[in-house]
Amino acid sequence: MIEQLPIVNLLLLLLTALVIPLFKKKNFKVTLSLNFAVLLIVWSISVYLLYYVNTEGAFYYRFGNYHPMIGLELLIDPFSTLITFFIMTMVLLIFVYSTSDASDGIHQREYGRYYILMFILLFSMYGIIYTNDLFNKYVFMEILSITTCSIISIKRKKQNYAAAFRYVMLNEIGSLSYLFGVALLYMVTGFTNIELVGQQLETVWQTHPTNIIIAIGFMIVGLGLKAAIFPFHIWLPDAHASAPSSSSAILSAVVVKVYLMVFVKILFRVYGIDILDALNIPSMIMMVGAVGVVMGSFFAIAQNDVKRMLGYSSVAQIGYIVIGIGLASYVGLSVAIFHVFSHGMMKTVLFLSVGAVIYQRKTRLITSFNGIGYLMPISMGAFFIAAIGMIGIPLTSGFISKFNLGIAALEGGSGVYIIVLIASGILNAIYYLPIIIAAFLRDNPEKQTVLSKDKVPILMLAPIVIISLFIVGIGLFPNGLMTLIEQAVNTFKV
Amino acid sequence: MELLKDVLDHINFIGAVALFVIGLYTVVTHSNLIKRILGINIMGTAIFFFFIAVGNVLEGAPPLIDPDGNSEVVFINPLPSVLILTGIVVVVSITVYSLSLVVRIYETYGTIDQKEIAAIQKGEDYSD
Repeated sequence: MIEQLPIVNLLLLLLTALVIPLFKKKNFKVTLSLNFAVLLIVWSISVYLLYYVNTEGAFYYRFGNYHPMIGLELLIDPFSTLITFFIMTMVLLIFVYSTSDASDGIHQREYGRYYILMFILLFSMYGIIYTNDLFNKYVFMEILSITTCSIISIKRKKQNYAAAFRYVMLNEIGSLSYLFGVALLYMVTGFTNIELVGQQLETVWQTHPTNIIIAIGFMIVGLGLKAAIFPFHIWLPDAHASAPSSSSAILSAVVVKVYLMVFVKILFRVYGIDILDALNIPSMIMMVGAVGVVMGSFFAIAQNDVKRMLGYSSVAQIGYIVIGIGLASYVGLSVAIFHVFSHGMMKTVLFLSVGAVIYQRKTRLITSFNGIGYLMPISMGAFFIAAIGMIGIPLTSGFISKFNLGIAALEGGSGVYIIVLIASGILNAIYYLPIIIAAFLRDNPEKQTVLSKDKVPILMLAPIVIISLFIVGIGLFPNGLMTLIEQAVNTFKV
Repeated sequence: MELLKDVLDHINFIGAVALFVIGLYTVVTHSNLIKRILGINIMGTAIFFFFIAVGNVLEGAPPLIDPDGNSEVVFINPLPSVLILTGIVVVVSITVYSLSLVVRIYETYGTIDQKEIAAIQKGEDYSD
């Protein structure tokens, strides 16, 4: 029975996407409550699976019981269940927010379509994380890229179309590069299953090194394009800034991270640390990450649109995760995964609270944040918590990940990167603090200096507050999450 | 002569890589959006070609069971062809999606040239 649960998850998400158009549009609340129920069921199954694999051990699901040599296989292990649990928790909260934020540029007729896309998006992310087959991953990645592009272009604005087109082109170059890498690996190993390819590579590495080197080059570039690792980030700020607020949060907090997790799987399950070290790949990845951290922050300072600024800030934060991956050590990888979580939460809060500001004030320029703290204390308070988390001030989860990353860098003998961490902390302060200062210390145009309640639906504020509490909670007690992450990292050949 | 023989032996792989590079060049250098989509298609075809070439066995028969019970035949590897069927569907759907996006871009901007679109965008800030 338990073996069937992962496929139940996938089917529930896909079937809900198919069922949504059948409901009446007049009574949209019915559809929303059905969607919420499905998300809640999938969330509980994910929690149960997380608990199950951490106590009983990992298991496989084979479609049609074919041998993995020719068939498809899902691998349910501590890593995949942890990531899917994170995805579902974030999306569940963002879903609650999105039910009220109706004004954000989506046409009334298209709400149903928006949720269809959201469910297919979730389905493909679950597929990417669960599957244990390189080609199957490619297919799910293509579903994911089509749905993300559609979710960006659902707003009927010209900028959205241009951003979505650029995104689809770069994404497609990325997927095809990845597929080329898979083809090269298939050529020398004869498998597409990750475990079998990994076993074969250890022997084939001696006889056909050229194929393997070219394949990893293609795969790193391909996944780098999709995950917006620094030199390939140009599509990200436009795409994330022009999407509706709730989907900006999903794209920035979850979708990009899924590609990074595929990246981790390719590096440490398919290739393994020996081949990577022989090719000197970890140190190159780290350098790319460090450049991304600094350059992303520099670009962010120059923005006057707050959502574009958050987009560039994502580029910088992805740099941290890449540095963690590039350390190629047990500690480095656990910090990278921890930062996936903490950045996911902080970016969600930032995008959603900015979404609340756009909802109430109809503006997204940084200059119009003056005195807004008096008008919307809850949203700006959450923004404040997430922003100090981004800077890396203690009591937040951002501090824990930066601190551990510094320690991991020292242990790995690359202390130079601590300078990068400190520099980026200062740069983050340069672009986050002025907003907070303007919001709480300057006068607003209405000259209002008494605290008043946010004029925003309660369902929009609740997720923001809950996730900010998570940020502080994990900043105070990171050990529970760390144990789960260590279990997950144990499944890699680090 | 050695080199020529090497090239001739691997002509299918070299052809696939050449196609891939042609496609990439088209995507990166052309400013016409339709030509870019064509470039993506060429890249996709190159990879499908490569996959099929990997599965080929010299003088192999199509992987079908012989009704005469002749089991001595060497079959070509059917798995890459099966994977590529999926791949073709995926690339077709991406093409359809991006072409429909080009239709929308033409309706709103009145052009499908990337440079002209960038020039139009330059003067405008994003507004909700």
